[in-house]
Amino acid sequence: MSANLRTIGNLVVRYRLLVMLAGVLIFGGFTQDDFLTLTTFQSVLDRAAVVGFLALGLTPILIAGQIDLSIGSVMSLAAYATIALQPSLGSLPAAFVGLGVGALAGAINAVIVVALKVTSLVATLATLLIGASLALLISDGQPVSSADPMFGLSLTNELLTVLSPRSALFIAAALIMFVWLRATPSGRNLYAVGSSMPAAISAGINVNGYMAGIFVLSGLCAGAAGVLQALSAATGSPLAGSALLIPAITAVVIGGTRLEGGRGSSLATLGGVIALGALTTLSEYNGIPSYTQAVYTGLILILLITLDRISGDNGGRKTRTLRRAAVKQVQQHGGTS
Amino acid sequence: MTLRASPTGPKPAPSAAWSAGSVLSVLSIPLAIVALMVLGSIVSPSFLTVRNLVNVLNAYSAVGLAALGSTFVAICGGLADLSIPATVALGALVALGAGSLVGPVPAAFLGILVAALGGLVNGVLIGYVRINPIIVTLASGFLLLGLAQLLVGGGIVYAEPSAFGTFVAGNLFGLPVSVWIFFIVALILHITLTRTPFGRWNFAVGGNYEASAASAVPVRFTRASAFVLTGLLSGMCGILIALSIGQARPIIGAGYEFVAITAVVIGGTSLFGGRGSILRTVGGVIILALINNLIVLIGWPTPATGLATGSILLVVVAIDAYLRRRTGVLG
Repeated sequence: MSANLRTIGNLVVRYRLLVMLAGVLIFGGFTQDDFLTLTTFQSVLDRAAVVGFLALGLTPILIAGQIDLSIGSVMSLAAYATIALQPSLGSLPAAFVGLGVGALAGAINAVIVVALKVTSLVATLATLLIGASLALLISDGQPVSSADPMFGLSLTNELLTVLSPRSALFIAAALIMFVWLRATPSGRNLYAVGSSMPAAISAGINVNGYMAGIFVLSGLCAGAAGVLQALSAATGSPLAGSALLIPAITAVVIGGTRLEGGRGSSLATLGGVIALGALTTLSEYNGIPSYTQAVYTGLILILLITLDRISGDNGGRKTRTLRRAAVKQVQQHGGTS
Repeated sequence: MTLRASPTGPKPAPSAAWSAGSVLSVLSIPLAIVALMVLGSIVSPSFLTVRNLVNVLNAYSAVGLAALGSTFVAICGGLADLSIPATVALGALVALGAGSLVGPVPAAFLGILVAALGGLVNGVLIGYVRINPIIVTLASGFLLLGLAQLLVGGGIVYAEPSAFGTFVAGNLFGLPVSVWIFFIVALILHITLTRTPFGRWNFAVGGNYEASAASAVPVRFTRASAFVLTGLLSGMCGILIALSIGQARPIIGAGYEFVAITAVVIGGTSLFGGRGSILRTVGGVIILALINNLIVLIGWPTPATGLATGSILLVVVAIDAYLRRRTGVLG
């Protein structure tokens, strides 16, 4: 009986993406008449593109067993730069500067983690605060409106019924990343780095190079998220990404990428982003306020990492085993010390 | 370098008791405070007045409580508690919101209790389930802040005038009550950390988790307790602020997690566990308070404080990582 429950539990954990998508679809179908339509799907995909880029950048980071907490702040900086520089540089160059801001911030993270050897958790925690403060400082806390609002408007237009230019970009990026991670030696090496860094070093993998690369990539993706968000909203807000870190991490974890490293896939992230986006759209259709979304997003994240931890290895039992072994040893040697 | 909070190796034995290095490290915090005072009196004539200095202390005594809790979290190897803004807000909102129903003093206790419950959630997930503390507290902070907003419908709660509120917001023997509370709590926690088994457990768990577990130290309980303590103190922090400004809103503690972490690491407590001191965290809080005051007096905008805090955090942690590598202990 309990073994059965455990199997079912493990199955739910493994196929959580499908379980969650099915749940959202069934609930949405019952509560909203026009939920199960292509229009809804198109809007879910379109709006998921921004969080999607953040989550995509995070995927290789988590596969390598690292974390990047600064992506929200980097996105804010990129979004502000993209709009604020439009009058002086022109719209297209400003968008590239936005991407460059992201890559530069990623490079700074890479230097701190790889060269200064600060754990990525603490390093990116500091750059999270620095980036957020910098965005507020440069912008004086005020969002800027685009001088060229028509430029980015087409990003959210309908494309091939279910897409929009920005969701097409996101899906293309996810597919490219999938091919990179699965079909190239460098992608496979990344899994090795995340599974066991000492083993990866012994195998002659340039671990530092991979670490630096994924942080730059994550910054670049956060920059892309910022550029897309700013252009389609025609506004550069210094707070654009400040609340998106948790949704991005949640989307990646829903997809099944594990925080412990060594496992994950960009297509799973794509699925996680769509599932979370569908849930957000559904709660907006039902008029649920945004702070309730924060509650369930946080709940889902905590629940999933807890289940991952429990079903993955029995780390909680480790201390008991250790103590028992120590006690046994003392008993065997008669406790003379 | 996995995301799981990995146990660190044993810390190196301290060398000669009073070498030049150790004298410098003992004196570094007082020296920094003196240097900031000198800098402050050069920058502005109104800096070195009793009123300004008391205000400086008062402004940081509430968040200082959260920093005291974070010291335990860091020493026991729990890295940091990022849910501090949420527990601060919960404490403040519950204390003011329940004030008209049960009276101001029981409401304050209720606020502390609710915040401690938030800490308990963190403690169970980090201590017993052993999930990475940063991720847990980031997610629980997001969740609890959402709950806090749900509680008040996203609005502001105003304090009803009460004798208790006036007392907490007022002065006692020439110093603000919240400064007294900060120093008294600091003293109690200093004794707890240095003179009780619980304090020693924290050092043991942070220094070497496996060895502590094998020596029958209640490793999971210790780590969980540090987070409950931080939740409880953050609740107190929220109540002090709410009562002194007469209102509470969900963003009342925004950014406090960084102030707490930075105060802890400035005090030389390693975020990776095994060493640290409450008194030095008090020094760290005073240093951050002075830096904030300097930034205000120079006339720089408020986000400059965040920039300064983040940069200090980064520099101190990088130095810590460098020193740990040199002494052969991997962070």
